[in-house]
Amino acid sequence: MTVTMEKPKTGKTDGVYEREDLLNGCQAVAQGVCLADVDVIAAYPIRPYTEVMDALSKLIADGAFDAEYIIADSEHSQFEIVKHASSVNARAFGGSSGTGWMYGMEALTVTATDRLPPMFVVGNRALDDPGAFGVEHNDAMAVRDLGWLLCWVTTPQEALEHVLIGYRVAEDKTVRMPMALAMDGAFLTHSQHMVKIPSLAAAKKFLPPYDLAERRLHPDNPISVAPQVNEDWVMEIRRQNWEAAKRARGVIKEAYKEFNAIFGERYTSPYFDEYMCDDAETVLIGVGTVAAPGRTAAKRLREKGQKVGYVNLRWFRPFPTEELRACLSRFKSVGVIDRDFAHGSPDNCGILMHEVRSCLYPAKNRPAIVNFIGGLGGRDLSIADAQKMYDITAQAAKKDSMDGFITWIGLRE
Amino acid sequence: MIKRVEVQYRGIFQKNLAKKIGSDIVMIASRMGQKAFSNGRYSDSPERNGIPCKYFAFVSPDLSEEELEAECGAKLEIDEADVSVVLDDTMCKGVEPWGWHGVRAINERVTKDACLVVISKRPHEELLQFIGKKPYNYRLAVLDGNASLAGLWVNKDDMTHEHVLGAIAAVDPAIISIEAVEAYLLAKTKDKKRAEAARAAYNSLRQEAKPPRVKNVTPKEGIVWTHEIPILPKWHEMREGAVVPAVPRGFQMGPRGQSRNTGFKRGTTKTQRPAVRFDLCTKCTLCWAECPDECFDPTTDGYYDIDYQYCVGCGKCAEVCPVKECIVMVDELQFHDDNSPWEDWKKDPKTYITSLEAKKGKDRVSYPVVTGKGIVVTKGEVMPEGKIVPVRKTEEVEV
Repeated sequence: MTVTMEKPKTGKTDGVYEREDLLNGCQAVAQGVCLADVDVIAAYPIRPYTEVMDALSKLIADGAFDAEYIIADSEHSQFEIVKHASSVNARAFGGSSGTGWMYGMEALTVTATDRLPPMFVVGNRALDDPGAFGVEHNDAMAVRDLGWLLCWVTTPQEALEHVLIGYRVAEDKTVRMPMALAMDGAFLTHSQHMVKIPSLAAAKKFLPPYDLAERRLHPDNPISVAPQVNEDWVMEIRRQNWEAAKRARGVIKEAYKEFNAIFGERYTSPYFDEYMCDDAETVLIGVGTVAAPGRTAAKRLREKGQKVGYVNLRWFRPFPTEELRACLSRFKSVGVIDRDFAHGSPDNCGILMHEVRSCLYPAKNRPAIVNFIGGLGGRDLSIADAQKMYDITAQAAKKDSMDGFITWIGLRE
Repeated sequence: MIKRVEVQYRGIFQKNLAKKIGSDIVMIASRMGQKAFSNGRYSDSPERNGIPCKYFAFVSPDLSEEELEAECGAKLEIDEADVSVVLDDTMCKGVEPWGWHGVRAINERVTKDACLVVISKRPHEELLQFIGKKPYNYRLAVLDGNASLAGLWVNKDDMTHEHVLGAIAAVDPAIISIEAVEAYLLAKTKDKKRAEAARAAYNSLRQEAKPPRVKNVTPKEGIVWTHEIPILPKWHEMREGAVVPAVPRGFQMGPRGQSRNTGFKRGTTKTQRPAVRFDLCTKCTLCWAECPDECFDPTTDGYYDIDYQYCVGCGKCAEVCPVKECIVMVDELQFHDDNSPWEDWKKDPKTYITSLEAKKGKDRVSYPVVTGKGIVVTKGEVMPEGKIVPVRKTEEVEV
């Protein structure tokens, strides 16, 4: 359980939640897709995300949900189907994991440039070889620079809710960017929790119908999408994408405000959650399910009098630069947990570390910063690991050198 | 000091020729102790048949290679040309150099007193009927010859490459000297004829040559350039998501009755245009059906008019036309406008046919890509309107 799973703080939620069910992350996403009244689903299997599509096909077969369900011959076709469906004003959904996600990369790049807003769930998985099913974040991270919205959830409840929130942000007429909803393979995709399922009426109240308006590909709206262009056009298109990513930050904030108004005060902050950070000196920051051991360790260390806290970053794209800079520059030292790698990059840090360090560079008060690479290929990140990371991070504030700047957690050595 | 050479050529057909000229300018200038490099750009990507393209060579006696690269390299277009070589005189009607952003004058980049070298059989005055006016004096050199396809491996080497090197040495010896050209060609090919070809071209363009082939063009000479150059929108003025408006739907009978993409005319691609004898037409529809660029507009009386601004001169219509002499491909420089041929014919059939037959004359050019049948020249003959003559006797003349 995490803080965001605590009961809503207000009592205004009567009627918005219909029932409670035991769902894993995949099934929760499938419920979210039903509530979002998605029109077109394209499927191609790869562990661990496959169960999302299993659950959806069963819901359709049971008559509980109605959507076009297309089985593609590969991820590349799957993503193209989703992109094209989105371009004709169908709310579209797809997903993948690991190398499957990478296989469809060409379609993923153009979906962003074409500024279409379908949703893809990414059940994070290590990139083969060697064949591995466990979680690693490099798959979803591969779209980070292409003009995608990219968000990590930590519980099945959040997963369900972020299907709605994700479409709300992606389809906003000032945004229209594809949305990648990432969740840790196995640890979230296959972890079952009690999930409160909103009523369809409440979901509809929150999520307006998809309307691509003047960009809808239709004979009555004759347009060409993505013709061949010369050197004279590409920079302007990239600049537009940049602007959309900037606008998305405001829309995200609005979306959580609206969500909280309907579903109770579920989220305290749109981009990231602070846990026990108010007077903290040492904090860890990470994405995904590592939040649970991170926060639990913080709670236990607090009991011993240590001023530690945890920051769970939810939205990786757009990156909440100003907000996170203001947050992290309050602390003496920051430890960044990467469930990914960026081999040969500056100081051989992980991807999140590069982003956080870059974000803090212009800060007036720069905290000491260290990096942890851990949990690769689905290895555990335990409470003990988290405690160790807090210790190393606290030590960093007292050091001038870069000794211990980067630590691999849980490595046999 | 930097000397900039521009070689304007027809895509694919003359690509190797243009590249070879650029390369050899670099080799020769380097042997003269200068710094030089060469680059080219596609007019469209990838380069396509017949579209106007450019190859460049840059030479400097005093700059470092890196400075020269910084000044001239990694650019889509050069700012100015000291020598601009035109390998096909039909490009004098204008070129769409890249991105199809308007038809540009062939001498757009030619600076004051610089030289435009056109390979042609035509006199200066005739070429200047197509070339835009400049606000200053420049030189126009006509190097005797035809548009060469020597860069294509299936075509005979006609030494155009050597001629051009000699011509550049004549009009701007600071780039390459004729002595250096000769020495280089001899050393490279061991073939005296090649050095001699360069020298002959050099001699033909010297000041004292008779008749003079280099003309000083004043601001009064040439035509007023009327083609509009589009202004590209700013990033926030463009539609998002790489969306462009489609060509509006709509169709009317008659000239230019079909809606077409006004931002994508490709008329400067053609070296010859289909000349139509409406009086011979059987209204079989084949030209209209087969045209890859949909340039034909049906008319109310059952004929097919042509919008020449969109015609790339591929010759497909002439190839499929079953009536001899009804559609034939004629040298583009015979025509001074893109008027509707059907309207011209309707207005005055006799004049239309007479002038069309006169234009056909000996200036029928045949690129091997079009018919593959070689060159056939037919003597003109006025046909009475509406009368269909299936096959006429033709007199074939070797050109």
